[in-house]
Amino acid sequence: MSTTAGRNPLNEFGPWRVRLVVLLLFLVGVALAGRLVQLQSSRQYDLAGRAQRQRFYTESIPARPGDVIDRRGRLLATSIITPSLYVVPERIDDADTFAGRLGGAIGIDGDWIRRRVDQHRDKQFLWIKRRLSTEEAEAVRRLELPAETWGFRNEFLRRYPQGSLAAHILGLRDVDGIGRGGLEQKFDHILRGRDGERLLDRDARGRVIGVVDVTEPPQNGQTVVLTLDTVIQLHAERALDALMEEWKPKSACAIVMDPRTCEVLAMVSRPTFDPNDPSHVALTAWKNTSIAAVYEPGSTFKPFVVAWALNKGIIKRNESFHCEHGEYRMGARVLHDHHPFGELSLTDVLVKSSNIGMAKIGEKLTNAELYRAVIAFGFGRKTGSELPGELDGIVRPREKWDGYSTGSIPMGQEIAVTPLQLITAHAALANGGRLMNPRLVTRYVDELSEFDEHNLPGESTAPIVSQTVLPEVAQWVVRGPMTDVVSRGTGKKAQLEGYTVFGKTGTAQKPDPETGEYSSKLHVSSFVAGAPAYDPRAIVLVVADEPSVGHNHYGGSVAAPAAADILLKTLAHLHVPSDKAASRAALK
Amino acid sequence: MFFRFGSALVLVVLISLVGVAIEKRNLELRRGLSRQHYRMDALHEQYAHARLKTQQLGAPERLIESIDASELKARRPESPVEDESRRVPLLHWQRAMPRTK
Repeated sequence: MSTTAGRNPLNEFGPWRVRLVVLLLFLVGVALAGRLVQLQSSRQYDLAGRAQRQRFYTESIPARPGDVIDRRGRLLATSIITPSLYVVPERIDDADTFAGRLGGAIGIDGDWIRRRVDQHRDKQFLWIKRRLSTEEAEAVRRLELPAETWGFRNEFLRRYPQGSLAAHILGLRDVDGIGRGGLEQKFDHILRGRDGERLLDRDARGRVIGVVDVTEPPQNGQTVVLTLDTVIQLHAERALDALMEEWKPKSACAIVMDPRTCEVLAMVSRPTFDPNDPSHVALTAWKNTSIAAVYEPGSTFKPFVVAWALNKGIIKRNESFHCEHGEYRMGARVLHDHHPFGELSLTDVLVKSSNIGMAKIGEKLTNAELYRAVIAFGFGRKTGSELPGELDGIVRPREKWDGYSTGSIPMGQEIAVTPLQLITAHAALANGGRLMNPRLVTRYVDELSEFDEHNLPGESTAPIVSQTVLPEVAQWVVRGPMTDVVSRGTGKKAQLEGYTVFGKTGTAQKPDPETGEYSSKLHVSSFVAGAPAYDPRAIVLVVADEPSVGHNHYGGSVAAPAAADILLKTLAHLHVPSDKAASRAALK
Repeated sequence: MFFRFGSALVLVVLISLVGVAIEKRNLELRRGLSRQHYRMDALHEQYAHARLKTQQLGAPERLIESIDASELKARRPESPVEDESRRVPLLHWQRAMPRTK
């Protein structure tokens, strides 16, 4: 016993075994320490980064695109969130069944989905349908498809609550939310905003625990406030629709403007489209004919030549012109009037729209002054409106003008203008000779909790102004000849009860595509009108391209009634008081 | 000795439980705070939907008849209101004035 009691039990394994275990433990300790040192030193940042990535997740916070509203705060364009459906082709086992069920729920051909899935078998993400309706999303959820094979991703859907109203001005946003056409394209950078980010905390399985921080708040798009008035726009659209129905032209447009500020109150183009349904738009409907179509203005151009000649002192207000009883030779060409006029006063040259009278004014002015007049009233260059796709119009270089030009330019031929250029120049006459760039946008604002038309935040846009002719000259042209055009001339159909209307008709011949000469059947009928003549508050231009019904395609017949309708409703909507009494007093 | 050991053990357990409770409360608050972020997004979205709906319902196109009735007192005359003083060819002869060249 004593011998066994005195023995160390470890000695039974022998001292070398103990030493071996100790050594192994030591080596393990050393190895662990070494690994620890290695992890802490050489791979510290790599592993810390990996841990961060596993734990934290940065989620993008999409910026809400800005709204577009009219001058009274009515919503013209806004964005709502809608789910877009994607699938994970790699995880779909039975593509036939999967595609068939999914297709039935969202109204897409199941075979098309299957083919797409088969083509992208190795992909983790594949769009099936963007921006689903609430019903479609609910139908997909009810299918209870395997969770790992599909999902929804929220995207903004642009909606236009007024439908096709002002579609050409607004434009639209494509499937990726990028502005295409109109103000959506021009102000994409303002409307789009900037996405933000927030940091999320995740557990070991990748499930989100909570939001750690909003690292970068999203900057929502700014609200763009337009100069348009939806009610006036609607009146203009209805009047133009009636014109399209009655005269069946190829296209037509109408613009309403406040001549005091050159703010566009309405701009309509036909044919049109519904921006809420861009997949069903006729090719011809995309064009905004107010800015992207040019035509020879015809007689609507004559007041500018008269105003310029008066301003330069080349003719006098009480001067008269012999109109050669309807035939006048200018070089090799013989000019004709639509009536055999004799001696006409300057006023009557405009009221009766005598081409010969205007040609004689052109001869007095010479080509050099005519060219200056054309440029001074803003033709041949963009007006500076905010709309993309605006054309310059056509004004040939001065060196290419010849003897024909002296007779043609004063009657609105040999140059081509856009309707917006034309109404802008007429607005200059109506506001005392000050030419301003037309404006469609008044300002951009960040947040708009309450709309106050007269006290809007944000920076407002200012017009660029240049004086074209003296105020007294412009006022005489508007209050004299142009008012007479409506009261006793070619624009009688634009008369309004209670308002003194000024205006000018235009019936421009179009070139015949077959002969290349001016056609006697193809016309651009236009009419520009404004009121009240002694303090113009609204000016309207209506242009109809190639009216095809009937034979009388004069601007006074085709465009004047529509212009008068729009003008009357605009004045009523703006609560402009009747001026008939005031104008009679002024005449006395 | 046993009592002291037991007391210390209970104390440690109690402190741990309080710690766990605080941690759970902390997590709950963080979760609530996180929900506020998403709730705010959802409210913004509800506002956008409601605004869109009200604007669609109150669109001038739907109300144009009443707008016409309430605002438009004046009407365009069926025929020109001012008598035409001259007839076509509407010449304004001014024989007393010299002819322009």
